[in-house]
Amino acid sequence: MGEPETPVPDSGAVFTFGKTKFAENMPSKFWFKNDIPMYLSCGDEHTAVVTGNNKLYMFGSNNWGQLGLGSRAAVKKPTCVKALKPEKVQLAACGRNHTLVLTAVGNVYAAGGNNEGQLGLGDTEERNTFHRISFFTSQHNIKQLSAGSNTSAALSEDGRLFMWGDNSEGQIGLNNVINVCVPHQVNFGKPISWISCGYYHSAFITMDGELYTFGEAESGKLGLPKELLINHRTPQLVAGIPEKVLQVACGGDHTAVLTEKAVYTFGLGQFGQLGLGTFIFETSEPKVIEQIKHQKITYISCGENHTALITDIGLMYTFGDGRHGKLGLGLENFANQFFPIVCSEFLRFTVQLVACGGCQTLVFASPRINVVGGSDFNQ
Amino acid sequence: ASEASEVQTTDSDEVVVAALPQKRPADSEKMRIEIVSLAFCPEAAVLADDSVQQVYVEYKFHDLPLSETETPMSLRKPRAGEEIHFHFSKVIDLDPLEQQGRRQFLFAMLQAQDPRQGHLKFTVVSDPLDEAARECEEVGYAYLELWQVLESGRDVVEQELEIVSPEDQDVVIGRLKVSLQAAAVLHSIYQEMTEDLWS
Ligand SMILES: [Mg+2]
Ligand SMILES: [Mg+2]
Repeated sequence: MGEPETPVPDSGAVFTFGKTKFAENMPSKFWFKNDIPMYLSCGDEHTAVVTGNNKLYMFGSNNWGQLGLGSRAAVKKPTCVKALKPEKVQLAACGRNHTLVLTAVGNVYAAGGNNEGQLGLGDTEERNTFHRISFFTSQHNIKQLSAGSNTSAALSEDGRLFMWGDNSEGQIGLNNVINVCVPHQVNFGKPISWISCGYYHSAFITMDGELYTFGEAESGKLGLPKELLINHRTPQLVAGIPEKVLQVACGGDHTAVLTEKAVYTFGLGQFGQLGLGTFIFETSEPKVIEQIKHQKITYISCGENHTALITDIGLMYTFGDGRHGKLGLGLENFANQFFPIVCSEFLRFTVQLVACGGCQTLVFASPRINVVGGSDFNQ
Repeated sequence: ASEASEVQTTDSDEVVVAALPQKRPADSEKMRIEIVSLAFCPEAAVLADDSVQQVYVEYKFHDLPLSETETPMSLRKPRAGEEIHFHFSKVIDLDPLEQQGRRQFLFAMLQAQDPRQGHLKFTVVSDPLDEAARECEEVGYAYLELWQVLESGRDVVEQELEIVSPEDQDVVIGRLKVSLQAAAVLHSIYQEMTEDLWS
């Protein structure tokens, strides 16, 4: 028998699924005393949590020093990065084996694997503590960070996109180089509003709501017709999505897109990560997930081989590779899911944040109030 | 190492863990079976057979209902050279006190003289799209030798089993990838049962 469970406080808890290193990789949850999560990010096997008090907590695999805690030992419990405490942490992005952090004064820090220069520090030596990327100053006004497999991106308020790291597939949008070790502005005619780095491909949205993809061309994950794939090293418009695009998430070999009307997916779906059913295992043509058309989706996240969606009423759907329990659908019996499945654990919660990684999913959710069986039940 | 232990304790008092992980049964009291993936040989007749559109995989395990030991979904029939992925993983409770029947069932497999009884049999089944029109049909069988697991003491990790035709079991029509975590429990069962025999 386990210990009696402490009830989740009204302020909510972070739920862990899959290979997180937390709680022996069993589904579990934790929360902070006098603090709440504001932002979650997952790498291949590591996790970052940024809190309302602007602290950064890290845990998981640490082979490359990607937790930035001054060692390379795996960490099983969320651990505050004290070195960043003097600056308020605002955002974090976990790549496959590195981590980027933005602080309130506009500094960007990086730690972890650096074999392609993804730390942006001018070399390819890994770091196990956070080092400031001197390129960025408060003038850059960074509003979003993203990190892939050895790639990094930072997006400014005024729509300038900076990328660095691995460019072997053109995934940082440069034509003639294999990699770059310092941030480099992706010159594009229009201001950009959102960036997502997948494992070997990337996608951004322009402020007028167009979707562009670039990087590895295989398996349809760029959402482009065959004749355009020759130019895969340059961002190209995904014309197959007629509406205004709000958000894009790139996984290992798939891409999910949230528009004003629907969720589209494309790329490889051999494990169900497209959510398009049991007959479509690959598509280069963006397709609407019909199953959840009646739901209003507000957020999407892609891990290497799985996908999670949050609805406007705080429900969560997951689909894709079910190994390690990362879909949040059970304790020890798993299967791939080829259609979106509502996570029943969160029917009694409002899901606020989700982050999918290589083998794990992190969810921040708070108890629903005024539901039957909740606090009103005894009245 | 000193750095690591310092790291582990830093600020951990600010983090509340809901509960310690539940105590899980020891490896000698459970087994895990995973149906990973399936592919057909390019020359297999089933590839060209239009009556087979989607398939699932099942196995029988003592008292467990088939609904628990068949892949929860049927997937589109793989094309030539394609692999379809179920990742259907199930943990079976083999508690020595509560699940003697299941332990006996496994022991009988380990002891079987007849090779057809000494393995776990997986069946690939064709699931008709129009359920009213046709019955589910068996497309192929794959066999996992349990004795090998006991003898080697090693779990099976993504092993490819031959899928043979139901009409002629000498004809290989594809490959079924499975995993089996059972080395510890098979050892425990064999010891327990053979002790009983001789005491
Ligand atoms: Mg995976
Ligand atoms: Mg069925």
